[in-house]
Amino acid sequence: MVLTIGAILGYPLYDLVRLSLQRYQLPELIQHKGEWTGLSNFGSVLHDPVFWHTLERTVVFTIVNVGLTMTLGTLTALLLTRVSTWVRVPLSVALVLAWSMPAVVAVQLWYWMTNFENGIVNHILGLGQHDWYASTTSQLGMVTSLIVWGSIPFVTITVYAGLAQVPRELVEAAETDGAGSLRIFRDVTFPVLKPIFLILTSLSIIWDFGVFTQPFLLIGAAKQTTSNYLMAVYLFEEGYARSDYGRGAAISILMLLIVAILSFFYVRRMIRYGDVR
Amino acid sequence: MKRRKFVAVGLVAAVAALAFAVAASTVSGATQAKSITVWLQVDAQSGWPDVVSAANQQFQAEHPGVSVNVQYQGWPTHLQKFDATLAGGNMPDVIEMGNTEMTKYMAAGAFQDLTSLKGSFANSGTWLAGLAASGRYNGKLYGVPYYAGSRVVTYRTDLFKKAGIKTPTSLAQFASAAGTLNKKFGKKGFSPVYIAGEDWYVAMGFVYDYGGSIAQQISGKWKGTLTSKKSIAGLTAFKNFFQSASRASKTTIETQPNPYDVYKQGLAASMVGPAWFSCCVGDQYKSSTGQFVMPGHIKGQAMPGFLGGSDLAVPVGADKTLGADWIKAFTSNSAEKALEVKGNIPNTTSLFDNSKINERAAARSWFVPTAKHWVDVENGNVLRTMLAEILTGKQTVKQAAKFASDNITATLNQS
Repeated sequence: MVLTIGAILGYPLYDLVRLSLQRYQLPELIQHKGEWTGLSNFGSVLHDPVFWHTLERTVVFTIVNVGLTMTLGTLTALLLTRVSTWVRVPLSVALVLAWSMPAVVAVQLWYWMTNFENGIVNHILGLGQHDWYASTTSQLGMVTSLIVWGSIPFVTITVYAGLAQVPRELVEAAETDGAGSLRIFRDVTFPVLKPIFLILTSLSIIWDFGVFTQPFLLIGAAKQTTSNYLMAVYLFEEGYARSDYGRGAAISILMLLIVAILSFFYVRRMIRYGDVR
Repeated sequence: MKRRKFVAVGLVAAVAALAFAVAASTVSGATQAKSITVWLQVDAQSGWPDVVSAANQQFQAEHPGVSVNVQYQGWPTHLQKFDATLAGGNMPDVIEMGNTEMTKYMAAGAFQDLTSLKGSFANSGTWLAGLAASGRYNGKLYGVPYYAGSRVVTYRTDLFKKAGIKTPTSLAQFASAAGTLNKKFGKKGFSPVYIAGEDWYVAMGFVYDYGGSIAQQISGKWKGTLTSKKSIAGLTAFKNFFQSASRASKTTIETQPNPYDVYKQGLAASMVGPAWFSCCVGDQYKSSTGQFVMPGHIKGQAMPGFLGGSDLAVPVGADKTLGADWIKAFTSNSAEKALEVKGNIPNTTSLFDNSKINERAAARSWFVPTAKHWVDVENGNVLRTMLAEILTGKQTVKQAAKFASDNITATLNQS
């Protein structure tokens, strides 16, 4: 069993590391034979200013996305506990439908809605022919709205299930003591839900850091440029568009290390937070 | 005991079935009909699907039992798909490559050498020089010229007539005509001249019209030249023309939306693009559509049009005989004649006809720097980004040109 998992997960990883240590461009691809160059791919990537700018941009992007997803998701879950069944069921159905929509289909919907000439968003907001993809901030903003929309259902449903674990007596006791809803959330609900938040946030960081489909398709293959790259798109452009597979492999390993480091610091902070409290 | 027997019998049956299946497929494999895969661009699908089917029929008449599987590709992603097939061993037998894309792949050894077969391709003695050059590397033939195209203006003859506009012979005349059209027919989203903001093929025409260029090779090293005085003048002229004549998005590319779709909806009095755009202007405008050569800034002179074009190649690892035979059928004299009728420039000067607008437009043309890494500049969207920055006003023409020029210099000089 362990051997099977090791083979399925381990072999591609081993192959990736091997690729990152080789010069493997188009001629090598055609001949199916690479040329050993040691760590020069890593060196070239780490000395590339585009890599650092993209990293910075992706970190900010991840923080914004994860922040919005977790906040809005939790608020929606809390909302679900307060409303009547007549509202809760349709809302849950809508959330599941949103969650189950394939990413490529969702991108197409967003593209039509925000279309320059005929988009419905422009029509409803009375903006005439506003170009939603005119600036990097606007482009990534559109991508963020798409990703957050698709990620909220998962967070909501998981947190909603977790909220059932919060003992009602504690909440009622806090209310009788005169605590406001914010205080109740912070001191009663949140500590109970901490493991769930930990898992959800870690997963969100991993997903949002490496997101590719939405930015690449929504902004468009022909409009990817060094000023709006996210890490996964940068990886694709460097590795595939420029046919430099060794370099692409090096970038992907660096991405793996970065996400591991980000998640490590976050997890440690959350655990420590729990101990102090 | 009974259970074990049951399992044993089941296993034997399964193995026997598997053995039969393998034997059957091996036997039928020898007599199974073969097929070849052909990758063409979507331009063929919308512009001349009948030429494709005629070639398929001719090929199948020569090779009964071999079917042709034509797969249409889009320009932005077809090279990455091609790379994947090169790695995986399932490459197409014929692939259409843009003439700007050929050099990188020929240098990497992606195509089979067709030099010995050159004589068997129609009109190979009178191939269009510029286009044929893109299929040659180190003196060997790797790409057969397919077709070329220049940029022309496709326009609504009825609207121009109503506004009392005669065919403009200079850029200034065209710009003032745009103003007149706007006054008479202007409404939300209507463009007197539809040009996408990031249509670098049109924008660079302005640069070359003013005597500028994208890059020059000086003693073996490439240098980006968009920052020269003449190039800047060209870019500024493009900016001014765009602002007065086009209501397209400043950050959209020339295929999203397709200019002929905007034209079809009645939202453009004219559009600048390949001559074959006339295929798709919509039934209601077919009889009121004409074409003229895009004027340059000097009266009477055409603006240099991008001499785009495609070659057909047989990738390494594919069936050379069958691939070459399909190419022969698709670039035969009758096929090239049919392409010419659709508004393309055929691959041979023997078919040239001075009444054809496309060929007149090609009298003044420009081409991209013939560098191994030029296709990386295209894939990096350097020129598109520059145009977006200029048109949205985020950077001045000089700033945007400098950024792009430095990028081009670095990319073209890679090892």
